[in-house]
Amino acid sequence: MTEPLEVGDIAPATASGTWAELGGLAEQLLGVVQSVDGVIAVYPAQPLWQSIAGAALSVVTGDAPALITLTDDDELLAVKTRIAVGTSRPAPAVAREVAEAVRRHLLPRPAAVDVSVVKVGA
Amino acid sequence: MNTTSDTLECGHSLAELSAYLDTGQIADPVHLETCPECQAGLASLRHLSELGRELLSSDVADAGSGTDDWMQSILDNLRLELRPGRSIPLQSGNPNDTLWETEGSISALIRSVADALPGTAAGKCRLHGDVATPGAGITVDVEIAVVYGHPMEERAATLRQELAETLALHTELTIQAINITVTDVLEPPKPASPADPTTPADATTPADPMTKEQP
Repeated sequence: MTEPLEVGDIAPATASGTWAELGGLAEQLLGVVQSVDGVIAVYPAQPLWQSIAGAALSVVTGDAPALITLTDDDELLAVKTRIAVGTSRPAPAVAREVAEAVRRHLLPRPAAVDVSVVKVGA
Repeated sequence: MNTTSDTLECGHSLAELSAYLDTGQIADPVHLETCPECQAGLASLRHLSELGRELLSSDVADAGSGTDDWMQSILDNLRLELRPGRSIPLQSGNPNDTLWETEGSISALIRSVADALPGTAAGKCRLHGDVATPGAGITVDVEIAVVYGHPMEERAATLRQELAETLALHTELTIQAINITVTDVLEPPKPASPADPTTPADATTPADPMTKEQP
């Protein structure tokens, strides 16, 4: 079954490791994304209004929404992120570098990286 | 600032964002840090506010608040455009990857380029064409309001050039045309005179559409 895993969740082990381990991985990947030249912000990977349950959980717990989501379907680790890009570098090139940096960090694990540029400029 | 009550997809309205700029108060300030659409809305509202001050500084502060039809038109367009919109695909270096730009991010970029020109406020900023298909021809329509005294043809030519360069740098869209229409010339009214009690109280006087230029 394919499930989104969010940073900070604690749950039983999956085929690839515990949710907590994947939460740690998401934190690492956040650092990877933020370190790419041209990335000026990382937004919640899933906008809150697209996830009523997530929104309700945030209201109750005060937790920040996940900036990187990981979905493990045993064959591919899907990584999703939404970024803002400054105007100093071409936004498409920055998006490609983000995907490549994430993929490089995850090696040898196969991955599918989804990068959305949701803002261009300061 | 007068706005209607309809909301953006995140649940906030331009009225709330405007109130936040005025008072610094909003129910969930953390949201503003995590919502690109609200950030784009705040940037546009700040620019409109600055432009309003520029108009009011030209000896018309006593003339009244005006009907602000031009500003209402801009706000109406903002409401439509402050949304993620369509997903615009980008080339990726790996077949497993999917890279996108949101239409909203490009509309906001276009708006920021127009707003950066002195005495100019962007109205409608639209991408026409199948943005989801790489290589499809895209037409950009931009409407602007210009404060009286700024040469319109020069302004339109400058804006078109800057937009062409910006879109070539930050998108992979195949831009076929950039149409710029000056929809309003914001001309300060004459100050109210005791001898003329019928002087209009408008702070600004929109003129008829003046130019529409094609590349």
